[in-house]
Amino acid sequence: MSIYLLCLIIFSLGIYCVVRKRNVIKIIIGVIILEYAVNLFFVLVAYRVNGRAPIFSAEQEVLNMVDPLPHALVLTAIVIGLATTALLVGIAMRLYEKYRTFDITKIRELKG
Amino acid sequence: MSREREKGMSLIVKTITRLTVGLIFLYGVYIVTHGHLSPGGGFAGGVIIALSFVHLMLAYGKEKAFEKLSRAAASLFEDAGAILFLSIALLGFTGGYFFLNFISKGQPFKLFSAGIILPCNIAISLKVGAGIFAIVVALVLLEFELEEEKKEEKKGKR
Repeated sequence: MSIYLLCLIIFSLGIYCVVRKRNVIKIIIGVIILEYAVNLFFVLVAYRVNGRAPIFSAEQEVLNMVDPLPHALVLTAIVIGLATTALLVGIAMRLYEKYRTFDITKIRELKG
Repeated sequence: MSREREKGMSLIVKTITRLTVGLIFLYGVYIVTHGHLSPGGGFAGGVIIALSFVHLMLAYGKEKAFEKLSRAAASLFEDAGAILFLSIALLGFTGGYFFLNFISKGQPFKLFSAGIILPCNIAISLKVGAGIFAIVVALVLLEFELEEEKKEEKKGKR
């Protein structure tokens, strides 16, 4: 159970980074930390005691294996995370091009 | 040696890149072609193939990477991957239904064993490899446009 609490601590760090920091790049890093905390939680849920990776091979038979379904889900989540990160970085670069700053307190205009 | 003429990183990085970039590409191809036997597959292998080109771009500058894989070629490979995957799926209609495994299954745990999974992995690797290379290229070119604007502004101020 305590290992899930550690996962929650990483998630809270990500939340703190997103709401408290003022630099756009640091906010993007916070979003990435949030994403990886959720991915880590899914992988931890999938773990079975003394389980091994669910890979068939010719010689041996897998009897006690970890749950492969969250692993597939996490793989898809990583792909989507890559796409959203690229989008966020593109928006941050456009913001810098327009305002010449990464500080969100100085980006005040609503229109344009 | 002036720094404007020498694009990219230092000599150490360039030498190591020249030695390792082929091995990285080959490892990506291995991951793709053994995707149905061991962990890996189209996505992971495609990422490794794309990273070999990104590695080249980081070490030598963008012109050298565009010599190996130009923007038009990356776009072509990405479209070809999508069309190849769809056509493999549609070819299943020759035997009955969508995504039918119409190639013979073969011996288990051999390289040519799992029917259409190997061609599907190759199509996914084309799509993912060219796509991730295109994302990095888009970000790099955007940055260069910014720097050119800055230079023009400085000239205007002077």
